[in-house]
Amino acid sequence: MTHVATHFELFNLPLSVDLDVKALDDLHRKLSLETHPDRLTGADARERRIAAEKSASLNEAVKVLRDPVRRAFYVLELKGVKLDTEHAAAALKMPMEFLEEIMERREALDGARQARELSRAQSMAKEIAALKSASLSTAQTALRADDVPTASIALGKVRYYSRFLEEVEAFEEELAAS
Amino acid sequence: MKGFLQIHDPLKPKGHVVGIDLGTTNSLVAAVINGKAECLAADEGDARLLPSVVHYSANGSVIVGKRASELLPQFPTDTIKSVKRFMGKSLGDVETRKLGAYKFLEGKQGVVRFEVAGGQPVTPIEVSGEILRQLKRRGESHFAGKVEQAVITVPAYFDDAQRQATKDAGRLAGLDVLRLLNEPTAAALAYGLDKGVQGLYAVYDLGGGTFDISILELIDGVFQVKSVGGDSALGGDDFDRAIAQKVLDARGIKEPSAQQIATLLQLARAAKERLTDAPQTELVFEGAPFPITRADFDSWIAPLLNKTGVSAKRALKDAGVSVEDVKGVVLVGGSTRVPAVRSYVAQIFDREPLSDIDPDQVVALGAAIQADLLTNEERKDEVLLLDVIPLSLGLETMGGIAEKLIGRNSTIPIAQAQIFTTFQDGQTGMDIHVVQGERELVQDNRSLARFKLSGIPPMAAGMGRVQVTFRVDADGILQVSAKEESTGIEQQITVKPTHGLTDEEMEQMLLDSIDHAEDDMQKRLLAEQRVEAERLLMDGAKQLKENGDLLSTDERREFEAQLTRLSTLAKTETNHEALKAVITDVDGKARPFVEKILDRAIGKAAVGQQIEDF
Repeated sequence: MTHVATHFELFNLPLSVDLDVKALDDLHRKLSLETHPDRLTGADARERRIAAEKSASLNEAVKVLRDPVRRAFYVLELKGVKLDTEHAAAALKMPMEFLEEIMERREALDGARQARELSRAQSMAKEIAALKSASLSTAQTALRADDVPTASIALGKVRYYSRFLEEVEAFEEELAAS
Repeated sequence: MKGFLQIHDPLKPKGHVVGIDLGTTNSLVAAVINGKAECLAADEGDARLLPSVVHYSANGSVIVGKRASELLPQFPTDTIKSVKRFMGKSLGDVETRKLGAYKFLEGKQGVVRFEVAGGQPVTPIEVSGEILRQLKRRGESHFAGKVEQAVITVPAYFDDAQRQATKDAGRLAGLDVLRLLNEPTAAALAYGLDKGVQGLYAVYDLGGGTFDISILELIDGVFQVKSVGGDSALGGDDFDRAIAQKVLDARGIKEPSAQQIATLLQLARAAKERLTDAPQTELVFEGAPFPITRADFDSWIAPLLNKTGVSAKRALKDAGVSVEDVKGVVLVGGSTRVPAVRSYVAQIFDREPLSDIDPDQVVALGAAIQADLLTNEERKDEVLLLDVIPLSLGLETMGGIAEKLIGRNSTIPIAQAQIFTTFQDGQTGMDIHVVQGERELVQDNRSLARFKLSGIPPMAAGMGRVQVTFRVDADGILQVSAKEESTGIEQQITVKPTHGLTDEEMEQMLLDSIDHAEDDMQKRLLAEQRVEAERLLMDGAKQLKENGDLLSTDERREFEAQLTRLSTLAKTETNHEALKAVITDVDGKARPFVEKILDRAIGKAAVGQQIEDF
């Protein structure tokens, strides 16, 4: 089986949760100038298809690497734990008290949503965002030390928190659209 | 020297390339000529804007542009305007029926079809195809040579179905669509290359029927779109409707006729345009004046402007920037001429917007530049555009939840795969429902396509693993494939069916259009003469009715005979020059009658004046 380049390898960067986003953007621009299909409009269909694929990989990679949360999940994945499906996430043994707590919070959010109380939902979102960034930083520290079990649990929490925040955003969109 | 070389450039075997702004209200074609982008004027005059209006006559001919819009009040259901708002839409879409006094072919699911005079119902793709064909002709008469490749612009906020429809319209018109380019990106390109800007810019694009906001960064030869937002059903047409509605309310007209709506919308539009320079105006509807001040108008459109502000703020947030980071705001689209729009933009961005390139032309100019960059070997290293998809793409998962695979504002081209597992023991198939939009529930998003991956070997729930891959190309068009991992069974589709045309329908249309292409020119000229004849007939009959008493019995008989002759020839004569000769002849013979009518009218006006004077 051929080795598929990791997102880090595509940019010739070391595998790490720490990364200079500005430098990444510059590099992405530079590489795009070489691989974007628009640069090869005179070339044959096969070359252009390859260019489009390369370009797509670069764009996918930069999207993952630019964002500290996605980047942490990706580093964890490269270390062998993939949290990309509900199933995989559920297989993690999340602490019971965490699950109970998040369940309570989601019920409270549902309540706010039904009552169409945006400000209540937003203040909950603020608390969750703080918890999320704390968990992310726990995960990053653990990943730097190669402590995969701790990182998995911390990112498992981040996943739940992200879901929660997405729900608040969906609520905001819903209100804006009506 | 360069012109000579271009002729022999082996990389340019396909004729000239153009950029086309296929607008809701007006369309334009532009090209790079001697290194400079220029909008091409119509051969019949110096008008650059082609009204995006298509008229279908009873005799089967098709008329595009200014002449078609003149026929609109008289033939409101056979004259399609603002067709862009129907692109990629179905009759089920809420907005669709509010857009005009059209007759739709009922009972058929999927794509909208207009019932028009003179033939089969037409789809928005075909109507747009007629506009594109007209612009292609304009290009060809300008270059005195073939035009076969084009960059066509679309609102950044167009979804996949709308993009597909636009690309299909291009194919119907016989154009190889090099790229669908987002309108604000095109505008930024025109500014970027013309004015040499660098840094972070916002493009506020308010056209006839669409609103787009884009945040772009221009660094080192790369134009990178950071985020886009907008509303594909908001524009200057809505300003006209706001005015028209006020008039209807004031007059107590509850159920206006198709003709009343069409007339009123035209009057409203003209009033809106006058208010750009004048603080007040009035429109005269059915004989009675309706005064409008600019302040009235501003207050009527304020809710619409606020909608654009919400989109602008979201786009800034998505780009991860704040208002202070923005170095300039570019205005695009005819509707940005409205003073209230300008001051609103100045207020939300806290700076005076830029509009030194004509906002009507800037998109077409940008498209022409992109077309040149894509085909001109000498220029291809100059600049690269990195665009994004406007709306998230995802799949329906359990419970009707939309799971996003590619988030909005992802740079394209892009591919993304995700694993979905079977949820029942022995499950052998998986329904794949592709949706586009930001909402959490599938039902609130746009349904793009459904297909089924079958042949999964029966196994325990959760063991079957299906990898779904989304690929979005540089035009923003999606392709989806699904693959079961243990068997390698794979299915692939280009997303299309829900609101688009099937491949068979498309093929038939293409065949039809090729058939037509040869005698197209003849047909168009003949069609124009037939319309001219119809007009003369209609005027003649009207004048006979109103002023027939001015003629002696003999004169009247002679005139009626002329009209009958014209009426017959208008249907049977297939040579446009012969028909034109008859029209000129009949028109000449009617001259004494016309003079008498004019005398009478002047007499009446003089009487009117005297009454007023006293």
